[in-house]
Amino acid sequence: MGSIPLVWFVGLVAWSGSPAVGELLPAERAIETVVDHYVDAGLVAAGTHPAPETEDASMVRRLTLDLLGRIPTASEVRAFTESTDPEKRPKLVDRLIGSVGFARHQADTLDAMLMSGFRSSLREYLVSSCRDNRPWDTVFRELMAATESGPGQKGVSEFLKARGKDPDKLTTDVSSIFFGVNVSCAKCHDHPLVDDWKQDHYYGMKSFLERTYVVGNFVGEHGYGRTKFKTTDGEEKKARFLFLTGREVEVGGAEEPSGDDKKAEKQKIDEAKKKNEAPPSPEVSARARLVETALEPANRDFFARAIVNRFWHRFYGQGLVMPLDQMHSENPPSHPELLQWLARDLIEHGYDLRRLTRGLVLSHAYARESRAESENPDPRLFGVAAPRPLTPLQLSLSMSVATASPETFADPDDQAKVENLANSSRGLASAIARPGEDYQIGAAEALFMSNGTKLNELLGDGDDRLVGRIAKQRDHRAQVELAVRNVLSRSPDPDEIALLGEFLAHREDRPVEAARQLVWALLASGEFRFNH
Amino acid sequence: MATQRDNFCGSTDHSLSRRGFLGTLAAGSAAFAADMGGLNVLRSPVLAAELKKQSKRVILLWLAGASSQLETWDPKPGTSTGGPFRSIPTNVPGINISELMPKMARRMDRTAIIRSLNTKNGDHGGAARLMMRGRMGDPSLNYPDMGAVIAKELGRGQSPVPDYVSFYAPTEGRDFAPGASGFLGSRFSPIELTTNLVPENIRRPESITELDHTERAELRELLTRRFERGRASTALSSHNEAYQRVKGLMASDTLFDVTKEPQKVRDAYGPTQFGEQALVARRLVEAGVPFVRVARAWWDSHGQNFETHQELVPELDHVMSTLLDDLEQRGLLENTLVVTLAEFGRTPQINASLGRDHFASAWSATLSGCGVKGGTVFGKTDEKGQKVIDGEIGAAELFATIYQAVGINHEKDYMVGSRPVPLTETGTEPVRAVLA
Repeated sequence: MGSIPLVWFVGLVAWSGSPAVGELLPAERAIETVVDHYVDAGLVAAGTHPAPETEDASMVRRLTLDLLGRIPTASEVRAFTESTDPEKRPKLVDRLIGSVGFARHQADTLDAMLMSGFRSSLREYLVSSCRDNRPWDTVFRELMAATESGPGQKGVSEFLKARGKDPDKLTTDVSSIFFGVNVSCAKCHDHPLVDDWKQDHYYGMKSFLERTYVVGNFVGEHGYGRTKFKTTDGEEKKARFLFLTGREVEVGGAEEPSGDDKKAEKQKIDEAKKKNEAPPSPEVSARARLVETALEPANRDFFARAIVNRFWHRFYGQGLVMPLDQMHSENPPSHPELLQWLARDLIEHGYDLRRLTRGLVLSHAYARESRAESENPDPRLFGVAAPRPLTPLQLSLSMSVATASPETFADPDDQAKVENLANSSRGLASAIARPGEDYQIGAAEALFMSNGTKLNELLGDGDDRLVGRIAKQRDHRAQVELAVRNVLSRSPDPDEIALLGEFLAHREDRPVEAARQLVWALLASGEFRFNH
Repeated sequence: MATQRDNFCGSTDHSLSRRGFLGTLAAGSAAFAADMGGLNVLRSPVLAAELKKQSKRVILLWLAGASSQLETWDPKPGTSTGGPFRSIPTNVPGINISELMPKMARRMDRTAIIRSLNTKNGDHGGAARLMMRGRMGDPSLNYPDMGAVIAKELGRGQSPVPDYVSFYAPTEGRDFAPGASGFLGSRFSPIELTTNLVPENIRRPESITELDHTERAELRELLTRRFERGRASTALSSHNEAYQRVKGLMASDTLFDVTKEPQKVRDAYGPTQFGEQALVARRLVEAGVPFVRVARAWWDSHGQNFETHQELVPELDHVMSTLLDDLEQRGLLENTLVVTLAEFGRTPQINASLGRDHFASAWSATLSGCGVKGGTVFGKTDEKGQKVIDGEIGAAELFATIYQAVGINHEKDYMVGSRPVPLTETGTEPVRAVLA
């Protein structure tokens, strides 16, 4: 590995996770007004005008995609755009957050974050924890405990099971996901200007996790074991149990047990495995000590800031700190006070992710148009909304919603039909690549959309399908309106009525095919592919 | 009305496209044909020559499961580890290879052998990733493999052909190192072929006519261009670029069709799957595809090593030599690097099942063609092939050599967020002795 990346870890020495900031806005202010206060201050300082607020149809689409993981139905769009209630946006947000689709989508989003790169999934556990709105610190504690027997814990051990055989991967993932710090760079390098503490940090985190093992269907933990490592000078060192802030913890089990004790332990583990039971737990769990330490008032900023930054990235298309796993003092946030205020708010309100979500999507900054007036707006200013590619699940469910006959969703209070689609569209999602931080859409997706057979059903021409309904409309204008409303969640403008009408008129000898091609072109368009 | 049309997407650039989908069949086909220039270039001798001069490519013959260096490039006849096969002289004095490779022996002057790989990893999965990426895994970094790096460095932005194609028909080792574009993004993901010779979704479904297929795509593009005005992001532009590549990729359909080759050429490669895929690889690089991997598996000879190699090595010998001949006859060899590589080698020690086990401490790979000094051997193993005694290198040095051979600076950095990541680890030196 090169030596350059080490520079990033210089900042970790005795760093609490929070850069020095001035006095924060009062804690009792509403989240959305604090967001706007700090974002606006940044825009003023840069001399930049923000984009205006986006139109109603675009607002309801953005919110429904962000909170329910799908586009709104045409009737949902109409209900919102026609409402004259000045409070309609907060009311919509509250209704969406209270609906069953919110827990589903929140679970899918967290699953993608926690299980990226693995075939297994935490969905079963996450759906249950998101339905209860379990606080984020509770979720962390439960994932680290990995005890499946308690209520609402089924599937919770998948996080550790997927990584239990690779302590380095486990160390890297726990640090990156929960604390926003990728410590793996400190694994094997040294920097000429910095002492060995960097490796101490990596192996300090690894100490808490290396006692973990996987046996059969269970995650176990030894009550002993000291992580060892070699310094770059070749010196063999025993790691200390060290959290990222430099806090050292006594865990016990420093002495290796005798051979007989180990044999006895192995026997117990084997017996448990035969009975398909959990292996015996240690007296002191190093993982539990990690959780306690990470949530101590002096250390918990890492934990709170990491999830705030990840949620900000989710709703604003760009983290307050980028990359998301490089939260350290050499890589300051775009809005340090804002990040600090949001982290404090999250802690003071019991790590309530719904509250955080609600606040983030109610700001003016969230509601801006995604079209910029200037050529190259600085994305770190949040003066214009970022077009964000839909996740595979958002895209596949949205395609299912868009191509169903609008009659399917005539009753906006009946969410069951949409939720059924959420299940049936998962297969389609597996054909689409997951977006990462710097996502690019590949030719495979375009080929899949252009020539694949999996869309055939969605583009069917029965009465229950959009294509079938379009083909039955009395004129091209009505056809275009129906298609654009259902796929793009807005009314067509006059240019589009003319152009798309012409496209249809050119195909009057094959009206069903014409409708199918029109719907395909809308589904494959950039406007549909992105949340904007 | 005409004015309105031109204003529709705010640009006159798309008037051709508009005429395409609103016009007659003839107009549509004309627009379609115009886009196919990249493929038609081969029919123009001048352009073809230019293309050959400029674009370098790589074909990787991937010997999954791990071939034995002792039965191929580094024989040790007459020793306790040598096994039953003899070594034979080649057309380069002083270089001997296994008697199982008589055809390559007659063409040794085109190939450089590296006999001194010590890659330290004898686990199929880890080693396959190591030898496809040139570095050990780093949990924080999703590193792209050789194919994706070469696709990025040697591919042309608007190329109508695929830039990374991977044939992996056998199941052995397929999941160990699937083509990975890593942090370069799915733009550089391979087109992977596992069951067919032709890629998935590359052919137009019969349910739609060619004209409708084209015009529907044009309508999609018009709508998208309109949406994109005032909006900028790499993800957004990648979406359009992906769709722009569809037509070219679909047209490259015929590149995957071996029946388009004269029977004489097909006979030369032979009727085996490995031979046919090597022939398709040649068709692809000829059309400008910068990286093609062809995997040949079932080398993992823990038992009956000698029977296995007696069967597999002559096939490798035949396919590799035919490929080199064919590339040379077409003037492609000077710009096409052929890499023959496995995840590791096999133990000199012969086990009780007359097999050879995994061995990463002293094994061989070869480079032929572009940028390579043919007829050279680099590195040396001891008398029984148990360790490297001269010129020891690891995966990083091999990758630096491959990159240098096709004109890529191996010290180049990619930026991953704010983090600079060098193509090969800092301080890595290519094996200059095998570079032309």
